[in-house]
Amino acid sequence: MIHLEEELNVLKQETMNMWQLVIQQLQKTEEALINFDKDLASEVIANERRVNAMELKIDNDCENAFALLNPVAVDLRFVLAILKINNNLERTGDIAEGIAKFISQAKNPFETQLLEITRVREMYMHSIEMLKDILIAFDTENTKLARTLFRRDEMIDEINRNANSILVDYISKYPESTEQALNILSAIRKLERVGDQAKNIAEEIIFYVEAKVLKHTKKGLLEG
Amino acid sequence: MSNSKNTGRIKHLKQQFAFGIFRLFSLMVVAILFFILAFIIVRGAKVISWNFLTGMPEEGMTKGGIFPAIVGTFLLVIGSLLFTFPVGVLSAIYTNEYMKDSWYKRFIKLMTNNLAGIPSIVFGLFGMSLFVNTLGFGDSIIAGSLTLGLLTLPVVIRTTEEALKSIDNSFREGSYALGATKLQTIRKVVLPMAFPNIITGLILSVGRVSGETAPILFTVAAYFLPKLPHSIFDQVMALPYHLYVISTSGTNVEESRPMAYGTALVLIAIVLLVNILANALRRYFSKKVKMN
Amino acid sequence: MSLIIETKDVNLYYGDFHALKGISMEMQPNTVTAFIGPSGCGKSTYLRLFNRMNDLIDAVKITGTINIDGKNVYEKGVDIVELRRKVGMVFQKPNPFPKTIFENIAYGLRVNGVGDKHFIEDRVERSLKQAALWEEVKDKLKKSAFELSGGQQQRLCIARALAIEPTILLMDEPASALDPISTSKIEELIHELKKNYTILIVTHNMQQAARVSDATAFFYLGNLVEFGTTKDIFTHPNDIKTQNYITGRFG
Repeated sequence: MIHLEEELNVLKQETMNMWQLVIQQLQKTEEALINFDKDLASEVIANERRVNAMELKIDNDCENAFALLNPVAVDLRFVLAILKINNNLERTGDIAEGIAKFISQAKNPFETQLLEITRVREMYMHSIEMLKDILIAFDTENTKLARTLFRRDEMIDEINRNANSILVDYISKYPESTEQALNILSAIRKLERVGDQAKNIAEEIIFYVEAKVLKHTKKGLLEG
Repeated sequence: MSNSKNTGRIKHLKQQFAFGIFRLFSLMVVAILFFILAFIIVRGAKVISWNFLTGMPEEGMTKGGIFPAIVGTFLLVIGSLLFTFPVGVLSAIYTNEYMKDSWYKRFIKLMTNNLAGIPSIVFGLFGMSLFVNTLGFGDSIIAGSLTLGLLTLPVVIRTTEEALKSIDNSFREGSYALGATKLQTIRKVVLPMAFPNIITGLILSVGRVSGETAPILFTVAAYFLPKLPHSIFDQVMALPYHLYVISTSGTNVEESRPMAYGTALVLIAIVLLVNILANALRRYFSKKVKMN
Repeated sequence: MSLIIETKDVNLYYGDFHALKGISMEMQPNTVTAFIGPSGCGKSTYLRLFNRMNDLIDAVKITGTINIDGKNVYEKGVDIVELRRKVGMVFQKPNPFPKTIFENIAYGLRVNGVGDKHFIEDRVERSLKQAALWEEVKDKLKKSAFELSGGQQQRLCIARALAIEPTILLMDEPASALDPISTSKIEELIHELKKNYTILIVTHNMQQAARVSDATAFFYLGNLVEFGTTKDIFTHPNDIKTQNYITGRFG
């Protein structure tokens, strides 16, 4: 293996470590939400510092890679992709922190019925699965797998769209739970953005492996 | 437009004219050479025979052969090489590899060059005074060889210096960088690389030695000596001097004229052979240098 | 960490020309230090201090100290041959000797008095392997070194330098005469060799300095303008002259 490959592998490993951490953060917020575990929520908030530190480290390593390794072609696209994926992961980390924050501030446990009708757990499952699958796609440079993300994002969108009317009904029935309902709505909104981040990551992977730019093209989004 | 076309044509014509002149002169050189060769060959070929090459001169050099002169020339060539090769090569190595750049070095180089410009008859006189008289060698092979050696010394020094200079310094540095001493570097890297060119210079000097008359006039050459030498203190005949003698002051110049052309032909053949040999050797060694 | 190379206030004059002006620097073991700067800035001259290659030039005057393993290499009584065994050098143009591939590598051993045939054979093989050339030449060791390509010749010269087991390797623009493929092979090799040697390399190619070195020194007009980790020099140099040079804006 040549020197450049070694260095890029280190970069890849760092990115995947951060990825795992972000997925864990998200899983922990789900657990905290269901079990109303405020300690777990605080842990997520504390861990966000680690996510940020990792982001800075990867940013710095990308800068060094540009300055010292002079990557070109696929290597150049790889470093560019890492730079953007890094950004997406950091935002996903922020989302997890945001959910953890309102859990730790909530006064009462969340109503089971509310969690069920809004399908928020289903949404968690989808977004986490997406993050995991896209991680595999990244690791194995599997663009076919990356392309499946675009359809799966639509399921998340659907849950998100329905959430509004469901919550309007719920609030009119149980006005005393308005705050809880709004919190759940905000969680759903945030999880929907996780799907978007995963989708962006998928685009970056396709860009770096196949040198195709999918952003802002409807055709690209429908492919696969 | 037509104007520029015109100047273009004039330029072209000028060029053609210049090329024509160059071609003419170079053809002339070749023509002269061929004329001389043809002249000598036509006149000399008639007398060339086995007897001519291996026989002794007879009847006041109007008959018989030139064998002693051929042998004499060979002995003088070898004798002068034995002197000039070590002295010339070693002094060139010293000035080129060891001496720092100074007025002293430049002075030595200047003197070497001047030495090359001295007329050969002066070498003859000097050789006579030093080797024949002062050192008491008498008219002998050793006196003649040393005189001829002195004559070719500047040529050998110069070609050796050029050969050494043509070797890129990076080879020397490469050797020093591996912990080699100067002597090791010269012996194992520089000399093997310079060898083909040194040999060429040496052989060309052989060509010169075999044709020189003046330096041997007073130091070795015998007018008429129909026997082979027994030691280095004997006199010998030599081709160029023999040629001179039989065409100017022989017993019968008119009668020995064909013999003179034959001698000239042999001399030219030897010089030509030496040149061909020089080329062949250079090719052989430059290949060998790369191989070992 | 022990300091193996260190120069203190080194000045060098070619006659009246002040070529190096008070250079002080420390180089760490098992690292690659690159010297960059425009032509005539003194980087090659500086490199040639460490194996006293400048001694070959007339009228050179050197002041200051150059320590290798704590010993001043310009002290009286230093054995230059011994020094050059410890400090190997690779030159700009590949300069294999007009000998066989085998004899090229064996040369350094032979001039240093090694005669044992088996020892030499082992060392030749090992050096060629270290220089990543063994596979390409193992069947033609008896062939002339001139039959190799330029890149192979340069790796042969590296192998030749390694054969006498130096601890320090000086490289004077080792890839400037080579094509890109050969260049990247040499760069990979430098990266490999770093594990066992301390390498000082002069290069005109900034990207090369960035790729291969751990520390970089920028020379300009005989001065050491900036010396730091390669990361720092290439991402945020302290001196504006360094920045202008590495970004190609040099006036």
